[in-house]
Amino acid sequence: MGLVTIAVRNVWRNKLRTVLTLSAVTVLVIFFLLLRTVIWSWTASAEQGARDRIGTRHKVSFIMQLPRRYVEEMRSIPGIKQVAHASWFGAKDPNHTDDFFGTIAVEPKEFLEVYDEIKLPKDQFETWQQDRQGAIVGDVLAKKRGWKLGQKIVLQGTIYPGNWEYHISGIYTANSPTVDRSTLYFQYKYLDESRPQRLQDQVGWVMARVDDPGRAAEIAKAVDKKFEDRDIQTLSMSERALQASFLGMVSAILRLIDVVSVVMVLIMGLILGNTIAMGVRERTHEYGVLRAIGFLPKHIVMFILSEGLVLGMLGGIIGLAIGYPFVQKGMGPAMEENLGAFFAFFRVTPELVVTSFFLAAALGLIAAIIPARNAAKLEVVSALRRVG
Amino acid sequence: MIPLSYNVRSLLVRKTTTVATALGIGLVVFVLASAFMLGTGITKTMVGAGNSSNAIVLRKGSDTEMASSLEVSTLGMIGAAPGVKRSSAGTSLLSGEIVIVIAQDKLGTQGQVSNVLVRGVPPTALEVRPEVHVVAGHPPRPGTDEVMIGKGLRGKYAGMDLEQSFDLKKNRPLKVVGVFESGGSSFESEVWCDVDTARSSFGRDGLVSSVTVRLDSPSKFDAFKATMESDKRLGLEALTEPAYYEKQSSGTSLFIKIMGGVIVFFLSGGAMIGALITMLAAVSQRQREVGTLRALGFSRFSILTSFLLESAVLSLAGGLLGIACALCMSFVKLSMMNFATWQEVTFSFDPNPAVLVGSLVFGGFMGILGGFYPALRAASVSPIEAMRD
Repeated sequence: MGLVTIAVRNVWRNKLRTVLTLSAVTVLVIFFLLLRTVIWSWTASAEQGARDRIGTRHKVSFIMQLPRRYVEEMRSIPGIKQVAHASWFGAKDPNHTDDFFGTIAVEPKEFLEVYDEIKLPKDQFETWQQDRQGAIVGDVLAKKRGWKLGQKIVLQGTIYPGNWEYHISGIYTANSPTVDRSTLYFQYKYLDESRPQRLQDQVGWVMARVDDPGRAAEIAKAVDKKFEDRDIQTLSMSERALQASFLGMVSAILRLIDVVSVVMVLIMGLILGNTIAMGVRERTHEYGVLRAIGFLPKHIVMFILSEGLVLGMLGGIIGLAIGYPFVQKGMGPAMEENLGAFFAFFRVTPELVVTSFFLAAALGLIAAIIPARNAAKLEVVSALRRVG
Repeated sequence: MIPLSYNVRSLLVRKTTTVATALGIGLVVFVLASAFMLGTGITKTMVGAGNSSNAIVLRKGSDTEMASSLEVSTLGMIGAAPGVKRSSAGTSLLSGEIVIVIAQDKLGTQGQVSNVLVRGVPPTALEVRPEVHVVAGHPPRPGTDEVMIGKGLRGKYAGMDLEQSFDLKKNRPLKVVGVFESGGSSFESEVWCDVDTARSSFGRDGLVSSVTVRLDSPSKFDAFKATMESDKRLGLEALTEPAYYEKQSSGTSLFIKIMGGVIVFFLSGGAMIGALITMLAAVSQRQREVGTLRALGFSRFSILTSFLLESAVLSLAGGLLGIACALCMSFVKLSMMNFATWQEVTFSFDPNPAVLVGSLVFGGFMGILGGFYPALRAASVSPIEAMRD
């Protein structure tokens, strides 16, 4: 009888306890998947931010605007290929005022050139460009609201008061999973012509594509230098740096989730350790017999460690078998639809699957160390004398 | 009744198991208590900024002060509204403010910037908000480029400390002359400067973001609100300050509470099974003992309560440990973005007794729930069979 067989049989000796332990480990593995996916989903967008795009905004505050002529001036800076501007609008659906989605005014052609990961069918693009009140929405948002092509919608402005009417000219998708598909983009013309004159000819921020991603930081500096002596200065950085700044602001949450992940791993270890320790204590007598017929302490240690390993691996496999589809098919789509602005892409990565499995297995092994050492140290005579 | 010392001793015999189970429960209680401490800390910081005698007037439809803008000409009409308190000199207690969020270099990071809220205030602001008081330096003199900063900002951003300065606009440094405190509210994460300085640096001529007024008493709010909103052309909206700040914090605190709820749900599921395993083993190992107790005349009911108590003691011990750890969290300060204003606000974990006691009770409840089935099993032991084993 091999080592593994003994380990498996020992695991299965107290069926109720094993089932309970495995279900606890399963619950915790599912939870671990969820927590790590939350973190991954947040950081992924920062890591996948385009390397060849830089953003330029007002130096003092992101709610202050840049003169529109800066957009043209930026085109002449060496290294910049394409430039597009965007302005935050801030609108709510009057029927769902608590529901947040982004509303941004852009120049259709420039915008789609600079953001080439956003995909819009050609005919829809043409309709959009010809319609002053045209707007495109992400497929996730369109589905959630039931908006159809050609539909008229009315939104309430929060920064620019009043009712704003839009026509849905297109529904966009994206070829990169981290793009937010819950935003409404509409024509800058419509915004600019409808707002008070003193606010006209201003834009919220400018995004530029550079020809060499390696020089993004350098080009961002060149942009700021160009406007340094003007009335309004700029703050430019690569898209990655921009997203890193955003992550910096929510880093406290990320750190808290890290702490909880560690607590969770500890609880899992304690439950596994508890189960193994109880099994070992109940079998003290048997280990005495094994020692008496010539097995060495190291054999006992091996028995117990492999039992822990088997238990941990089993828990990991069952946890993943239930947790993976749960997050991937259940939670993931629900999160993307309802919290798309925060979690544009909420899926379990293959790396996480592997990590979770090895973590569960390793915890089983580690949890078995103390019971194994105690059992090995026991004198044969006293082990034999011990009952229950 | 079986004495409690019997249970305590039984727990002490199986040290490893007892410690493992209690620690598991303790960790859950720790997470639960910390999540709720953070939740109440956030509410206290954000909602604490509001005073129920104050009302805030915004442009209708704007969710935050930042998105709102009002013509300066409306100030006179707001000050003349019924219910607005007057100072001893006979002027209305009102403060027309400009609110903007600026990017500032965060110290101790690699070139990261974060958002700091700057509030341009008139000299009356301190009368409208008496809870704000200067703790170091002096208040800025009106009409100058002097500012005071909330104590939560001190030393966290470039230029934000006494006698230092930072730019709002090129070549127009603002000098920090004072540090203020406001009882832990979110004002402590703001910069206060002169309203005219803010207006000219931010190009907001003739405008204010919001107007805050002091009312004679909280009960005067309804009449004040009615006056504000009677003229539809002005498009004004009045809220009590607590209602406004509650709305500002709801996103962030809801996020923490949902997050905390999900976390505790999963963790307590795991730890409860841990308690169940331990108690099941305890019962099966003590078959003979239980049989003896039954033979001695203890009723099924007292066996049931005895094992339930044992489980409760086990989890309460863990719970106390968890609470002790959670209390240590009250020394930790967190700075986090408020989703409504994009401003970074410093929060702390608020150790209020209700949360602590609640978490401890939850821990005990987990033990009783996990111990129920094992206790039931112990109670159904037949004395004769148990002693024959």
